[in-house]
Amino acid sequence: MSAGAVRAAVTAGRSLRPIRKIRKLVHDERGLPIPHVGIVVRDTHLSRLGEHYHNTLADDLLYMTYKHESGPRPPPRNIRLMYDPEDPYVKLRSNPPVGGSQLGRKLAPPTTAENVVHLERIQLHTMAKDALVSRQNLLGPLMALRALSGETEQGGGRRGSTGVQVVRGVKSVGGWVRPGLPLGAKVDLRGTKMYEFLGTLTEFVLPRLREFPGLLLPPASASLQTPAGVAGVVSFGLPPEAMGLFPQIEVNLDAYPKTYGMHIHFITNAKGAGAQERVRQLLSGFQIPFARR
Amino acid sequence: MSTSLLRPTSPFLFPPSLCRGFATEVTHRHPKKPPRPNLHTAVILNRSPILTRTPTPFERAYYAYQTRIQRALHNPFPYEFYFKPGSLLESKFNLEERKRDRKAFGPGFGADHPLAPGAGVSAQDLKKFGRDEDETPAPRVHASDDSGDLKSLDRKGQRNLYLLVKQKTTDAAATVWRFPESEVTTDGELLHESAARDLRGLCGEAMDTWIVGRKPIGLYEIQPPTALPDSVPFPKTCVFFFKGHIMAGQVKPSESVADFAWLTKKEIEKRVDEQYWGGVKDMLSDF
Repeated sequence: MSAGAVRAAVTAGRSLRPIRKIRKLVHDERGLPIPHVGIVVRDTHLSRLGEHYHNTLADDLLYMTYKHESGPRPPPRNIRLMYDPEDPYVKLRSNPPVGGSQLGRKLAPPTTAENVVHLERIQLHTMAKDALVSRQNLLGPLMALRALSGETEQGGGRRGSTGVQVVRGVKSVGGWVRPGLPLGAKVDLRGTKMYEFLGTLTEFVLPRLREFPGLLLPPASASLQTPAGVAGVVSFGLPPEAMGLFPQIEVNLDAYPKTYGMHIHFITNAKGAGAQERVRQLLSGFQIPFARR
Repeated sequence: MSTSLLRPTSPFLFPPSLCRGFATEVTHRHPKKPPRPNLHTAVILNRSPILTRTPTPFERAYYAYQTRIQRALHNPFPYEFYFKPGSLLESKFNLEERKRDRKAFGPGFGADHPLAPGAGVSAQDLKKFGRDEDETPAPRVHASDDSGDLKSLDRKGQRNLYLLVKQKTTDAAATVWRFPESEVTTDGELLHESAARDLRGLCGEAMDTWIVGRKPIGLYEIQPPTALPDSVPFPKTCVFFFKGHIMAGQVKPSESVADFAWLTKKEIEKRVDEQYWGGVKDMLSDF
């Protein structure tokens, strides 16, 4: 008799299903029960720029970024011997491609209506150098990012919502940074809030920013095969003067100890060769200006 | 035919090396190659929506429900961070918040609760301090919607509009409704250049337009009438469509354009013929 059969004989008399414990409801200060229901706040209104993307930009971007390919792409040439996937001894070994990962030279996936370039999230990131002196100096940037984004951790019951996060040092830089030292703050914006931030940026901030030519393009001679060129992310920085131009902060600018600059990263689904240019096409559809040096 | 008479009847008459020299008979006549098609370009000039879409009743109910949940669950508002205590602005905000909460949850809840921070001053007093701002939004229906003016670019602000022209066809004096179209004439002219030229030539210079990309977005083939046997077949016509956007200005029709209109997809279907509609309908936005 095998061990499994013995166990089956022992448990034959009772159900294997665990008995469900009934959780007691938590009561609020007035004595009213709070139901344990996972309530998630979804969109509360139509997103104007989101509608603009779906109505107009997605079509235009498909037409502009379409590359005609006749037939399926040829499979990659395997000129190096591979570990035998059938052999249990070596099947988990990696088979690195010849010539490295070829990161900058990977072709973009074939253009289809499903993979038209779109914004996935916008990340705001600010570094506070004086947080090294005193951690209290980080409160200003944290409050500014909260006011700008309106995001809180698990806000609206969304598990993915990380809210404003403290950025900590990763490496040890002699006499300056140690790993784990709080250095700045960042926040991710998605969905409706992301489009609202984009609208605020292009309508209130950039037009009022003094001597702002637009996002500077790299010189024409710059290589497009860098990791940044194929990652599908376009970034730019705003000077500290720009913080006072956001309406969320303009109303009580004097409540902040000082103004902070920030980096803004537009993170999209574009991948492969020419990804950065496709992201620029997308962003200029949202009226973000670009300028040559 | 004479060639068949010359053909050797027996392979033994000539040595095998010479046999192929006599295989001159044309057994199969090549069908005549169809002539090269006439190339035309047309521009689908689009006026994108200028107003945000009105949500459907279902969407409105959904958004109202989500807004109530959000109002019920949001973090406490940091009054002391945004307002000086007892300031006029705080009173104004409290009054507005009370109105919004009463609308969402009914009287007696949220900011409308008797224990909630109230306004130090009444709404009548606030009116004395600051003038009541006129915040009535502009109407979502334009005058051209009421008058049925199909040439106005302000009509149907929520919809995609397309430029349709009543154009003379090549052969007859008859006019048909279609997208502005012309022939690619010059040798070596590229399709997208032809499209831009065609739009300028037919609809005037008084428009600020942008042709999207250099690639056509669609192709419509007009099959020629069947030619008589043993004669050269007629060429077919290939119309390549380009998408364009209008930024400013208006159409100033040339002599070959009898009329023009800015129409939605459904309105276009009524004007164009059935075959043309079948070729272009998938290039247009439903909304």
